[in-house]
Amino acid sequence: MPDSKILIIDDEWESAIVKAVQRRLQDEGWQTIIVQPQSQWLVGDEFEDATIYAIEDERPDGVLLDVRLGEHRDDQFKGLEILRQIVEHYPTLPVLMFTQYAQGPARDTAVRGALRWNAPVDFIDKLASPEEVVLRLRRLMGSSPELIPIGAHLLVDVGAETVSARRERDSALAPVTDIHGMKFEIFRELAAAWYRSPGELVPFSRLERYSEGEEARASLRVRIREIKVSIGKALGVQLGANDLIVNVRDRGYRLAPPQV
Amino acid sequence: MPNLRNSLSWSLPRASLRPVGPGGVSRLLGTVVLALGAAGMVLAPFVGEAMFARIWGIEPLTYVGAALVILGLAVTTLSYFVSELLRSRRQAADDETRFAERWTQVTQQYFDLFNHDLGRPLRRILGKEREIREQLQAMGADVPSSVRELLDEIEEQTPSFRLMMSNMQVLIELETPITGENLHAVEPVEVVRRIVDRYGLVAADASKQIVWWSEPTDFGIVYSDSSAIEHIVTNLVDNTVRYAESFAEIGLTRDESNFHIRVWDDGPGIAARYLPYLFDRGWTPEVARHEERTTSGLGLFIAHTLAKRYGGDLTVESTIAPDPDHHTCFMVTLPLHTKPGRKSGEPVA
Repeated sequence: MPDSKILIIDDEWESAIVKAVQRRLQDEGWQTIIVQPQSQWLVGDEFEDATIYAIEDERPDGVLLDVRLGEHRDDQFKGLEILRQIVEHYPTLPVLMFTQYAQGPARDTAVRGALRWNAPVDFIDKLASPEEVVLRLRRLMGSSPELIPIGAHLLVDVGAETVSARRERDSALAPVTDIHGMKFEIFRELAAAWYRSPGELVPFSRLERYSEGEEARASLRVRIREIKVSIGKALGVQLGANDLIVNVRDRGYRLAPPQV
Repeated sequence: MPNLRNSLSWSLPRASLRPVGPGGVSRLLGTVVLALGAAGMVLAPFVGEAMFARIWGIEPLTYVGAALVILGLAVTTLSYFVSELLRSRRQAADDETRFAERWTQVTQQYFDLFNHDLGRPLRRILGKEREIREQLQAMGADVPSSVRELLDEIEEQTPSFRLMMSNMQVLIELETPITGENLHAVEPVEVVRRIVDRYGLVAADASKQIVWWSEPTDFGIVYSDSSAIEHIVTNLVDNTVRYAESFAEIGLTRDESNFHIRVWDDGPGIAARYLPYLFDRGWTPEVARHEERTTSGLGLFIAHTLAKRYGGDLTVESTIAPDPDHHTCFMVTLPLHTKPGRKSGEPVA
């Protein structure tokens, strides 16, 4: 979801680990705004005020919020207080809690306390990789974007129903002409699952909806082979059995970005 | 942080405020009988001789009085001891629960403190490692594979550290009895997805593939403890990614009364003679082979204990065979609890 705005509230905003996450969010095409209290004293209350003002001013699409804001004992769970306010005033705003306490009592307290079970709130611990943070935010903010980039070489445009590949000769993106109709639907289904969760397998039963005839499985296999040939041709490579669309133990298919 | 000794002490229950129970009633009766007996014994000598002559059996009044005294004393004493015994047993059980809760609370506070303090230097190390990686990439220089491997090693240790801290937290929580409050609406699919997010990159770095699926695709919600499910599956996946040769698979299924999480890997398999010890606390394959331990041996113990604690089970099936038939498969089964307020057997999703 390019052009999305993410608000980052963390008392360690200058640390390398938060900077690495911020850079990864920017690579994703998201704009990042770091909330810094005006006061020189980094106490929880300052963060609370600054966060609420920032949400009103910036109208972000997602929030990355630290649980512990400051070293004082009272600020140990300040982030949860801010979270309650966000859920109360902006119930649809996705919030990813950035914490040392990703599991256990803190999360349970928060979930059981002010939150509904289906509130768009999730917890992730601070040692998570930036890729993990991006995956969680993607899912919180909605898992069906209009444009799905698959690695650096492929782009699925859901609205226009096109798959574009980066040409070898000039590195420009050009539509793969013969992927449309049911073939596009199959590829879109695989791309959406991969975007949500790279390890997710799409079962045959879900993909066979886009096949015709009595031999749905065989028809699906043919369409998958045709998709791979078309994309391989556009990329200037030959895609093997374990490239791009992989059959997993005769249970379903999953996408693997091509290594060109 | 409160003082441990003070935190673990508690005041004795004030017996005087306790309402009168069955012990009190029988003690009251015993006292009345005792008083009647004593009165009989005291009055007997004052009754005139004439009356003794006329009323047959007045003499036995003394014996009856004495017998009532003995009976009254016995009832009073017995009721006192019985009620004391019951009270002390009840108090011991209450104290034990209160102690376990306080112990968990205090240990949890210490753990949170250490977790935060340990996490700080680790976050710095990890942050710097990621910065070095980005700077090397920005320089466009050919990074020697040995340097890349060193950086990868730091990154790969992170999920292990996260799991170790979670396991410590679970060990603390296991000391407290569970209550119905632990159960809430959970999407098992989302829990599995999170775990694969975490281990997918580690698996990819080790040229292994990790996939997951659910049947039905729209799995829905269950009433369970998401934290417990996450601990169980994380420990199994951590284990499976370590021992898989090239492929690991997690599958979610459900039937009328349970849901199942199957964690499969194409690893070399576990010898049948080791399987009975697999869920023992501290047991690892290295222990059996008298080698240096590479893991704590707590993961499978915790997963098994948690599954049992929530009314489910964890089983294992493993085959040592020539390629490609060797594998290990763990199967977690957990009950589909009903939502609080629903009748048992009513669908939850």
